[in-house]
Amino acid sequence: MTPSVTLRTPDKAPTAVPQQHKKAELTLVSRSTQIKERALSLLFFLCAIVAVLGVVLIFAFVAVRAVPLFKQIGFLNFIAGTKWSVANSQFGVVPFIVGSVVVTAGALAIGAPLAILTALFLSEIAGPRARAVIRPAVELLAGIPSVVYGFFGVTVVAPLVGRMFGGAGFGPLTAWIVLSIMIVPTISMLSEDALDSIPMGIREASFAMGATQWQTIYKVVLPAAKIGIIDATILGMGRAIGETMAVLMIVGNAPQMFAGLTKPIATLTSQIVLGMSYATPGAFQTALFGMAALLFIISMGLVLTVRILSRGKRGTYDA
Amino acid sequence: MRDLFAEDRERLKELGPDAMDKAVRNQRRQARRFRERFANNAALMVLSIAAGITVMALAIIILYVLINGAPAIASHFPSFIFTWPHGVNAAGGIWPTIVSTIYVTALAMLIATPIAVLAAVYLAEYAKQGRIVTIIRFAADSLASVPSIVMGLFGLAFFIEAFHIPMSMLSAALALSLLMLPIIMRATEEAIRAVPRYIRWGSYGMGATKWQTVRRVVLPWAMPRIITGLVLAMGRAIGETAVVFYTMGMAINMPVTPLDSGRSMAVHLYMLAVDGINLKSAYGTALILMVVILLLNTLAHAIQRRYRKVR
Amino acid sequence: MPRAQLKRRVLLASLLCMLLLASLILSACSKDTTDVVVSGSTTVEPIAEVAGEDYGKAHPNVSILVSGLGSSAGIEAVGVTKTADIGTSSRELKGSELKLGLKVIPIAHDGIAVVVNPANTVRNLSMSDLRAIFAGKITNWKEVGGPDEPITLVNRDESSGTRDAFTSFVMGDTPFEINAVVLPGTGQVREVIRRTKGAIGYISEGFVKGDVRALSINGITPSAANISSEKYPLSRSLYFLTRADPSPEAQDYINYVLSDAIQEGAVRDAGYLPIKIKSGDK
Repeated sequence: MTPSVTLRTPDKAPTAVPQQHKKAELTLVSRSTQIKERALSLLFFLCAIVAVLGVVLIFAFVAVRAVPLFKQIGFLNFIAGTKWSVANSQFGVVPFIVGSVVVTAGALAIGAPLAILTALFLSEIAGPRARAVIRPAVELLAGIPSVVYGFFGVTVVAPLVGRMFGGAGFGPLTAWIVLSIMIVPTISMLSEDALDSIPMGIREASFAMGATQWQTIYKVVLPAAKIGIIDATILGMGRAIGETMAVLMIVGNAPQMFAGLTKPIATLTSQIVLGMSYATPGAFQTALFGMAALLFIISMGLVLTVRILSRGKRGTYDA
Repeated sequence: MRDLFAEDRERLKELGPDAMDKAVRNQRRQARRFRERFANNAALMVLSIAAGITVMALAIIILYVLINGAPAIASHFPSFIFTWPHGVNAAGGIWPTIVSTIYVTALAMLIATPIAVLAAVYLAEYAKQGRIVTIIRFAADSLASVPSIVMGLFGLAFFIEAFHIPMSMLSAALALSLLMLPIIMRATEEAIRAVPRYIRWGSYGMGATKWQTVRRVVLPWAMPRIITGLVLAMGRAIGETAVVFYTMGMAINMPVTPLDSGRSMAVHLYMLAVDGINLKSAYGTALILMVVILLLNTLAHAIQRRYRKVR
Repeated sequence: MPRAQLKRRVLLASLLCMLLLASLILSACSKDTTDVVVSGSTTVEPIAEVAGEDYGKAHPNVSILVSGLGSSAGIEAVGVTKTADIGTSSRELKGSELKLGLKVIPIAHDGIAVVVNPANTVRNLSMSDLRAIFAGKITNWKEVGGPDEPITLVNRDESSGTRDAFTSFVMGDTPFEINAVVLPGTGQVREVIRRTKGAIGYISEGFVKGDVRALSINGITPSAANISSEKYPLSRSLYFLTRADPSPEAQDYINYVLSDAIQEGAVRDAGYLPIKIKSGDK
């Protein structure tokens, strides 16, 4: 269409290289090929945008469903209300937030050290043979469906906890045990990535100074991989907060404030599933969507935190 | 009284004035070295124990599923796999749930793979680093960490209530593909970035266009790692419960068209487990689910190992 | 570029598409069957569904479509909107529903047993004590003549039909104590009661086995006879409802549900009692 066509040479004679213009390099192919290339790169871009679109749509469609509730009972009564009673139209989610926090914090306290130590073992100590066993094991732990973990929790861990501490065995303690195993692979695999990305030279320098293996790990490797490990822990935290089916099966689902390690509680996720199974469209269902929106915001916040932390890291170590 | 240390003092005098200091320092150094070695060994032990606990946790869960599940399957083999559940408590086999699981996973792969791979191609080959790429990466990370229950409710609100797709293989596959998208995207992008630059130069040097280079050189080279990512994403989809629960329904059905409903293995296991009446079938289902995941993981490893050898 | 390979791929893809299309059309065409729509109580749903499946196998030209919406919705669907051929209900008709001219067909009895750990020495509870226990007013077994043992409450989730029935029989307007463990399945409730010393919960009588003990309420044991005569205070019947002239297919299906195959099969599997009690029952 444009006069500049003269610069483009047809497919059959690619040898006719125009000389005057630098841009000509790009136009060695026929016009149709060029259009195809453009169209393809646009297509790829559109595919990449799907992820963005997905996130926006998820938030929009979940949050919009919650809006009527905020109009009806007010946002503050939702987010800061301590009473959940469907019969009385009280939809305070504080008990569930507390439940989620308690369950997540405990799972992290047990799972994170275990995972980080496992990652250190894999990256710093293990020989090839030990690594060949442990690493696939960790990956497999990540692959086990959460409903299998829940099933294990309800048939093995809960009875055990019940026998040791009295009561029915459902509650934060049971959830801690099961969830901590579930988040080990997330934290461990990401921590190992962080540890592996530290240049070998740093370790060699430390050993050359006469440091022991532990001193090298503790004083050199860990500080260097600190941010990567914190990132891993935060993502593990996201996994724990968002975990649904396994948690539902083992926390006991009592919509009360945290009352003790072996007393039943409910989390945001577990309450959504239990509620959805009988909620009809109305205030109750919108409250559940509100809780989902809250979960979404929390998980986005965690990802954002990781992003910000990692940006600092790039400045320091990539030089 | 005899001086017990006379001899030592004599020797000290021979060795010179610093000897006492040196001896003390030597001893201290030795003590410190001992302490260090002890701390080192203790710490290394703690690390090995942690790794041991992790492996043990896996072993316990696998053994638990195997010990309880094997009799359930073995006593009705192969009817447990190939017959329908019947009655109020879903006694008998689980065949339709296996078919539903395979159906929905395959469909989700068909939807997610092209989009995810092309998106990764864009990020790795075409995009200029800038704000848009940052946003896309952030979105992919966020998508990967959206809790599955939130994804499930979204699927319900979007595909089923807004677009009026019935609870079916299709709507579940669409929701699942959103879940798989970031996993495949990341694996593909890493795979593409690992392709050595000189290979691309060779292709460009022969006059190939960008797309030709990507399609004929970069993607084939990166394929083993991409497939590994695909296999792992598949495992994720097969084990997913919450998303499938709200988008596919839970009626036991043999799906034929993508608009048929069904119940996946994971949902079946969930329903049996919370009901707690027919635990035998629950254990059997759990075992089959675990075997599938195990096989997929092994497959991913095998592909990766082969790829390493080739390189 | 290997054109042959490309061609083969295109061929394969189009073949797949055609297969998909064909299956869609096929599934759309095979609809020359009579539908019998059954909707209502979620408590009746499993029985109606299993009976529907079995009936459909024997009569390929009839398909039974079952949905669970709740008893009131079921009565409305068959009596008012006439969107269902058969309504199902876990309660008797009341008020204006009586004037709809519906035929009421009892299909099963359901008794809800209050169960405790076998080690518990309590054998009987009055209705008011039971209510006080589940409302959290009574928290120790010694207050009702048992051992000095704290009570562990086990409740069902709110979507459960058993919880619905328990609420209407026992609780009325009294709210449940919220520190109860909420379990989403009958089998789980039984299992937790079996292994927890001070636990109390409720399940359909048909699921009571030797490892948990069913209490008598107001001195009446939840025996088959007491439940079918509704002497036991936590008992009810499950009903099918039809308009005055049900279609022959619907009537045939109802007859099937009342036959031994379903009464002794699905009805018992679901934890309910057959409508006709045999002399051999306890």
